[in-house]
Amino acid sequence: MKNTVFELADVHYSYLGKFPALCGVSLEIRQGEKISVIGANGTGKSSLLALLDGLIFPDTGVIRGFGENMSEKVLNDAEFSKFFRGKVGLVFQNPEVQLFCPTVREDIVFGPLNLGVPGEEIRKRLDKLTETFGISGLLDRSPHQLSIGEKRKIAIASTLAVEPDVLILDEPTAGLDPLTSRHIVDIILQANIEGKTVITATHDMHIVEEVSDVVYVFGQDKKIARSGSPAEILSDDDFLRENNLVHLHSHRHKDKIHAHPHSHAD
Amino acid sequence: MLYSFWESCWQERRNDAIKKNNNNFIERSVTGALSFLKESVFAEEYASKKGFLQARDPRFKAAAALLLLISVMLAKTIPFLAVMYLFCLSLACFSGIGLRFFLKRTWVFIPLFSLFIAIPALFSFISPGDALWSFSVFGLKFTITRQGLFGAATFVLRVTTSVSFVILLALTARHTELLRVLQVFKVPRIFVMTMGMCYRYLYLFIGIVENTYLAIKSRIGSGVHHKKGREIVAWNIANLWQRSYQLSDQVYGAMLSRGYRGEYRTLNEFRATSGDWLLIGIAALFFALMIGANRAGMV
Repeated sequence: MKNTVFELADVHYSYLGKFPALCGVSLEIRQGEKISVIGANGTGKSSLLALLDGLIFPDTGVIRGFGENMSEKVLNDAEFSKFFRGKVGLVFQNPEVQLFCPTVREDIVFGPLNLGVPGEEIRKRLDKLTETFGISGLLDRSPHQLSIGEKRKIAIASTLAVEPDVLILDEPTAGLDPLTSRHIVDIILQANIEGKTVITATHDMHIVEEVSDVVYVFGQDKKIARSGSPAEILSDDDFLRENNLVHLHSHRHKDKIHAHPHSHAD
Repeated sequence: MLYSFWESCWQERRNDAIKKNNNNFIERSVTGALSFLKESVFAEEYASKKGFLQARDPRFKAAAALLLLISVMLAKTIPFLAVMYLFCLSLACFSGIGLRFFLKRTWVFIPLFSLFIAIPALFSFISPGDALWSFSVFGLKFTITRQGLFGAATFVLRVTTSVSFVILLALTARHTELLRVLQVFKVPRIFVMTMGMCYRYLYLFIGIVENTYLAIKSRIGSGVHHKKGREIVAWNIANLWQRSYQLSDQVYGAMLSRGYRGEYRTLNEFRATSGDWLLIGIAALFFALMIGANRAGMV
């Protein structure tokens, strides 16, 4: 239990007190794990990630982060807030939300600057990320001048600049071309190899196996419908179809049209 | 049959009129405003060129512009102002800005800021003095005086030179640099940050407005009655307000997530070169000359 990062017990959360987003979620995430959260639209994946990042708080139930009972009061404490923000980084689904500074460079250094990292160290991190992501030509550009793939990379770089122990990603490959998608997956895997806990919410079944040790599937009732290894989950076509995660794919072989479930288990 | 023919002709003419006048007005207004914003606020064509001013440290460039503007305000004679204006034009040339483009860009604003004020000053009822030329309009006698002409010319030249320096600064510096300069000049950080975010998200909202307008056009075509057009514009404004409200919430969440606790910090990476010192030196020289000349009563 020593290496538990997050622990959720019967967490309920609703927007404006009347639109339920999570209805009794319990799970445990350990240091260094790769976790995937999959589920159809509106099943509460993004709400779960916002809870894990301490941006919203449960209506009922308990969420513990790094051994601390996470509540608004605890996150308002300057010391714990600084500790927690340095430990956990969230890459938002919409990079427009995350890239709010006038230039890419300022966006990348925003986190470490606000967490009081010394200037010299920030420059080192900036140089390292610039090289890793191949973004030297983008540093002085405004985020509005970038393509969606570039924005996504910068959003991840701006989160990694904090050097968090836990990297949370909300739909990191949504809307990306296959090559950029591959690059993002490589970055996620590299972060995990370096010891970071990686939590990924995704619809992209291509990447689930690679980015997960454990998969949590969220159902329409906004609860965890099932959890297990990627092999177990991805091989159960009936279960995936029930949860809107695979579809029947029909195509033509010579003069015959045939249909089969379309999934990406291997 | 005659009635239906007449009705179809009338409908066709009405649709044509809608297309030509009303809808074009809405379309022209929306697309014109958006393209002006994009061109004037976001175009960095000249700022990204290689030139004398583009290579300067933004702090020195902004300080020099400020000194030059004060010098222009202190100058009271046409020759001094003309020298400063020529200096501004030569800076534009050395910075790779076409003279024709630059004159066009600056002189667009001159009537707005000065001519309408300066014209009445030409006449004897505002500036009494030596008569140069008299004429009558509807029995009323107007006299242009030498003092009036001199005063109006000085005023127009002063406005022209000031506007030119400001436009030159805006053309050769990126907005992001200017924002950082504001911080160096101790403008409150929260103010600079708000301005930066306005700049950042203005572009996003322009995109949303453009796409919404195209989506409406693709569904209802181009023949929109002006009343409906006004409704669409009003609905668009409300929709945009809602989106911006949601976005502000999410952006604040993203800021909190990366450690923001109410104080905005930045990394200062400016570096001064000899060219920067040369520019500020020339600006300081103009400033000193104007102060000295003012004291001696020469300008």
